[in-house]
Amino acid sequence: MAASRFWTTPGSDSEEEDSDYDEEIENGGENADEPTPNRYLRGNNASDSDDSDGQKRVVRSAKDKRFEEMSATVDQMKNAMKINDWVSLQESFDKINKQLEKVMRVTESEKVPSLYIKALVMLEDFLNQAMGNKDARKKMSSSNAKALNSMKQKLKKNNKQYEDLINKYREHPESEEEKDEDEEDEEEEETDSEIEEDPSKIVMSGTEDEEDEEEDDRDNLTEAGWERKMSKRDKLMDKQFMKDPSEITWDTVNKKFKEVVAARGRKGTGRFEQVEQLTFLTKVAKTPAQKLEILFSVVSAQFDVNPGLSGHMPINVWKKCVQNMFVILDILVQYSNIVVDDMVEIDENESQKGADYNGTIRVWGNLVAFLERIDAEFFKSLQCIDPHTREYVERLRDEPMFLVLAQNVQDYLERKGDFKAASKVALRRVELIYYKPQEVYDAMRKLAEQSEDGHTGGESGEEPRIEESRGPPAFIVVQEIVPRKPTFPENSRTLMDILVSLIYKYGDERTKARAMLCDIYHHALLDEFSTSRDLLLMSHLQDSIQHMDISTQILFNRAMAQLGLCAFRNGLVTEGHSCLSELYTGGRVKELLAQGVVQNRFHEKTPEQERLERRRQMPYHMHINLELLEAVHLICAMLLEVPNIAANVYDAKRKVISKAYRKVLEASEKQTFTGPPENVKDHVMAATRALMKGDFQKAFDVITSLDVWKLLRNRENVLDMLKVKIKEEALRTYLFTYYSSYDSLSLDQLTKLFDLSEAQIHSIVSKMMINEELHANWDQPTGCIVFHDVGPTRLQALAFQLTEKLSILAESNERAIEARIGGGGGLDLPLRRRDNQDYAAGTSAGGRWQDNLSFGQGRQGGSTGRTGYSSGGRAFAFNQAAGGGYSRDRTGYRGTGHSSRAVRGSQMDSSTRMVSLNRGLRA
Amino acid sequence: MANMARSFLQVAATEEVASPLRVVQIEGLVILKIIKHCKEFSPALVTGQLLGLDVGSVLEVTNCFPFPIREEDEEIEAEGANYQLEMMRCLREVNVDNNTVGWYQSTLLGSYQTVELIETFMNYQENIRRCVCIIYDPSKSNQGVLALKALKLSDSFMELYRNNNFTGEKLREKNLSWVDIFEEIPIKVSNSALISAFMTELEADSPVTQCDYDRLKLSTNPFLERNVEFLIECMDDLSMDQQKFQYYYRNLSRQQAQQQAWLQKRRAENMARRAAGEDPLPEEDPSNPIFKPVPEPSRLDSFLITNQISNYCNQINGVAGQSFCRLYLMKGLHEN
Repeated sequence: MAASRFWTTPGSDSEEEDSDYDEEIENGGENADEPTPNRYLRGNNASDSDDSDGQKRVVRSAKDKRFEEMSATVDQMKNAMKINDWVSLQESFDKINKQLEKVMRVTESEKVPSLYIKALVMLEDFLNQAMGNKDARKKMSSSNAKALNSMKQKLKKNNKQYEDLINKYREHPESEEEKDEDEEDEEEEETDSEIEEDPSKIVMSGTEDEEDEEEDDRDNLTEAGWERKMSKRDKLMDKQFMKDPSEITWDTVNKKFKEVVAARGRKGTGRFEQVEQLTFLTKVAKTPAQKLEILFSVVSAQFDVNPGLSGHMPINVWKKCVQNMFVILDILVQYSNIVVDDMVEIDENESQKGADYNGTIRVWGNLVAFLERIDAEFFKSLQCIDPHTREYVERLRDEPMFLVLAQNVQDYLERKGDFKAASKVALRRVELIYYKPQEVYDAMRKLAEQSEDGHTGGESGEEPRIEESRGPPAFIVVQEIVPRKPTFPENSRTLMDILVSLIYKYGDERTKARAMLCDIYHHALLDEFSTSRDLLLMSHLQDSIQHMDISTQILFNRAMAQLGLCAFRNGLVTEGHSCLSELYTGGRVKELLAQGVVQNRFHEKTPEQERLERRRQMPYHMHINLELLEAVHLICAMLLEVPNIAANVYDAKRKVISKAYRKVLEASEKQTFTGPPENVKDHVMAATRALMKGDFQKAFDVITSLDVWKLLRNRENVLDMLKVKIKEEALRTYLFTYYSSYDSLSLDQLTKLFDLSEAQIHSIVSKMMINEELHANWDQPTGCIVFHDVGPTRLQALAFQLTEKLSILAESNERAIEARIGGGGGLDLPLRRRDNQDYAAGTSAGGRWQDNLSFGQGRQGGSTGRTGYSSGGRAFAFNQAAGGGYSRDRTGYRGTGHSSRAVRGSQMDSSTRMVSLNRGLRA
Repeated sequence: MANMARSFLQVAATEEVASPLRVVQIEGLVILKIIKHCKEFSPALVTGQLLGLDVGSVLEVTNCFPFPIREEDEEIEAEGANYQLEMMRCLREVNVDNNTVGWYQSTLLGSYQTVELIETFMNYQENIRRCVCIIYDPSKSNQGVLALKALKLSDSFMELYRNNNFTGEKLREKNLSWVDIFEEIPIKVSNSALISAFMTELEADSPVTQCDYDRLKLSTNPFLERNVEFLIECMDDLSMDQQKFQYYYRNLSRQQAQQQAWLQKRRAENMARRAAGEDPLPEEDPSNPIFKPVPEPSRLDSFLITNQISNYCNQINGVAGQSFCRLYLMKGLHEN
């Protein structure tokens, strides 16, 4: 720079360009065999304007500016060369590569500017020189030497791309540009015409204009940049191959293919670019096997497009991927001697064997894996898309397409005899079908058929295009052999049966388990409770499900939930409750069914966990309605619990059927003011309150006012069933609660109260009598129920409770003494203590059980004695009006009192013994 | 003379060692006032002040006044204290005994053995050398019994309480068990001769009084039920207390094991040191956390609960015995 300042008139504010310009001349002079870059610059500039006029500059400023930048970088490189500074040289090299992209974009030509080539040549020469000069290398600083080495590698790699041009340039360093220019024009025309001929370049773009349009469609700009550059390179390849189609050999294609594949996964390799390149290669593939090979790579490259685990594959790429799979299948079907295998190391030149080759040709690939991946991407996309948008619906429409593909793959695999793989594919199909009730299934079928017509219209625009694009270079023509339209059986069940039986026959453990669960779910969906329950019980899945992977566990939960709903629809309350109660014990239904991420207040999830959980989520259209589920669960629990609570007033804690329901009930009882019901829980609680009083009508009204019922298919039937159930349970509750207030109760009265037929009431009440829930008997002539007041009095109940407490106390006393005896020891203490505890726990359980038993006996003895007495007492009750009551009471009391006192006595004995032992120890 | 001197000596000696309280002598008036107060507020528990004189081994209670129902509020408590002082002043002005000798309180089925009662007692004890607490149970009195009890804390218990250590060891040393917390003092009702004469005048001709009828009531269930309920509660409390102890023992034994391990290690180390000719390290290391004693839970609670339980049991036994008598009586009557 200093030199240039001297050269120009000092003090004048000459433009930088000028000085650069001067310098370049100087440099050019120095470096004789290198043409100055500014000549190119000038040449370019000369065409529009020499005097850099502001106005005109504006017109083409983008292009010029890029070139100027580039030439400035070249200058920097030259300077660096002079001082042998490889570090800055390296920087400049990176910079120029970046600038090259920009230039290419601006000039919109596919030709690399000669300026760049010149710089490359210059660099290469200098590099060789530097490498040759060993002494100089030794003298270099370490960082410099390092830069030199990396530069060498970079340059080598980079120059490969432009080898032809560099060679050409080396041959004719002077005339290069002129010719280039001409050639460029020529080529431009050529390509343009080509493009016009072949408007259906499926890959990315036809003409530049189109690309511009397309660019707008791209998600973001940087990608667009990539794309552009790529298409340019593509065109380069195009040229390479298209100039003389006859020259393209298997080898060239194979070489290029290997090259492209080798670049996979490397930094700086554009993913879209790769897909395009490979797609292009499929067009020029020489043999079907090669085409297949390349297509496999295309598909896997398409899978690579989205690198993250969380995001999903762009939908258009997905669709293309599916189309590619179709083509693969076409080839495989057409050339049945081609075998796809991923186990064997395949000979590199296997794909050279042409279509007429007779033996089997092995191609590496795994159809099932690809299919599963496509399915997974489909699933993921549904997870990510907001379910309330149109996009989601649109996406769902792609499902038939995938189903067809899966069907084709399965057919192919079955033909090939690979039933194991076929069963895997079948599972994928099952998993798309199992949650669809017949209506949804029909809708899908209709949609598929409709879009069939529309598809042939819409797709005919697309499909032939694909074929055509392959057409002109048309080495391999693939006919559409595999059906593109879905064929669904009328009934979803038939389809499920076919698929599931295949899986049961050939699938591995996990596949079978999943298929079984789907099968159960589907049966339950179709209201076939007994079938699906039998399937579940026969498969013993409940026992092994803990050891399975989480997604299968979720599937299991879903199946259980559906089974519960099914049981409820069929009026099987107990079964429904036992299916659902487990889901509701932890209060984590959402998590268990993977229908939404729950934020837990008490322990924060790590982001890792949360991501995992998010990945497990079910797509919205597969959800089981949680409100319905909750309503069904609570209603089942209510129908079971309300009579149970009424029957066991005194020892409420002993017999709990549904803990979740009890919790809700307690919470609602604590409320001082109960407003009108709002959510499902409120409704059920309001119904519970009515039911406890035996007011079935009100309970039923409250339940029907829930709006989740409209989700049920046969709503009327279900509600009718529910009404009958509520009446029955109301009757039971009423009898439990108020029987002590009656001496007898007429059947007529009950039919009036509960709107049930006499036969129903008769059967319910008789059942209660048989189960010893109700101490009464029928008086047939009068149609009355006669009650016997034999339930334990409050005092007796309390006495039972007290004995229970005492036994607990005695046990813990015993445990204490054991700990004390064992506690004197030395080191083996913790172990022993644990043993003791276990033992104590065991004994406590056993003891309690025994106690219960003895109480039961005591009670029984008491009651039988009493009943015996009371019947006697009744006989002469007329004589002893007042005394009978007392004495009866007393004997009863004595009977129970004795047995319990005996128990207590023994406990007291043991406790006193313990105390004395204790003392002895201490003393 | 010598006799006299000895008796003087004796007097001096007895005055130093206060004679133990033998009898609480209560005026009929006081009893009536207590009954009236307690019964009027029956389900709620009330308290009041006892006034009287301390005469040798007899504590005379000659008057009392009720406290307003206490509420859990500090302001009101302060007011209560004011009320008490004011009341005392007024009574002195009308020349009534105004020595505080204790307090009375009502109770429900004898559930009075609480920490609060002990605390109050200790408070009183600080100011008055000899004080007593009279417990009246209105529910029991309904059965025709005068359920009046005079209680004081035993001396050994008070001493322990002052030091506030109810560990097992101390209790064993003092040979104090749950029975020895409270001492019941016999109550003697005294009336002036005039009143006695008047009462005799008032006495009705019929040999049976209302009280006797009450005693013949046959419904025992509610009372028993209440008692059993309370018993159940006590059992729960006792279990809780027991758990506390279990936890303590577990910790203790764990700590002992740790100590043992540490000691062995230290001994082995010392052996090595001795072999090497170095001084042995001390076998105690107070800074080590494993030597920090685990605080032993107080046994006071369990003692009180046990007291309660025995109280309830006694009541149940009493009622049951009486009931049986009545029932047999009834049976006999019927058979005749």
